Amino acid sequence: MLVTKQAPNFSGMAFHEGKIKKVSLEDYRGKWVVLCFYPGDFTFV
Amino acid sequence: MAVGYGKLKEMNVEVLSVSTDSVYSHKIWNESELSKMVGFDMPFPMVSDQGGKIGTLYDVYDVDAGIDIRGRFLIDPEGIIQAQEVLSPPVGRNPDELARQIKAFQHHQKTGEVMPSGWVEGGQTLKPSPDLAGNVWKEWKPPTK
Repeated sequence: MLVTKQAPNFSGMAFHEGKIKKVSLEDYRGKWVVLCFYPGDFTFV
Repeated sequence: MAVGYGKLKEMNVEVLSVSTDSVYSHKIWNESELSKMVGFDMPFPMVSDQGGKIGTLYDVYDVDAGIDIRGRFLIDPEGIIQAQEVLSPPVGRNPDELARQIKAFQHHQKTGEVMPSGWVEGGQTLKPSPDLAGNVWKEWKPPTK
């Protein structure tokens, strides 16, 4: 169970505002973050 | 998620979306479909999780299907996970419920008050104390439909 625990850190490449850049969760410390997984691009909901 | 983004931004919340697609697929999906659906480019980073490493860390990677299922995690400014919701692929999430939960957690962190079942912004909260224990029924009744 992950609720109440420290969020596992990760980094990965992301597409954002026309660019490809590296994103790390730890860069978001101090902010609320919604981390949203989904099954795939071009899925329907 | 994109539709509810303005509201989240007002609440000082950042969004990261994650799937096992490549960043190039994210680019094309944004250009060819998503931006047309909502009228603007995706305002948040769309992270590529090829191989499912990130999904595995959050226990939402389906090894057989090779995809991350619909897991949503609310992480506070200290990096603590305050809420999660995991749905199988066919059903989408409700951004209003997400916003409600964020408001409730932010209210709690500011005031120490707790939000009873069904709480919405402006609704009654409770202040935990020894006197309140066993007496919640005097202070709060379940909402009637």
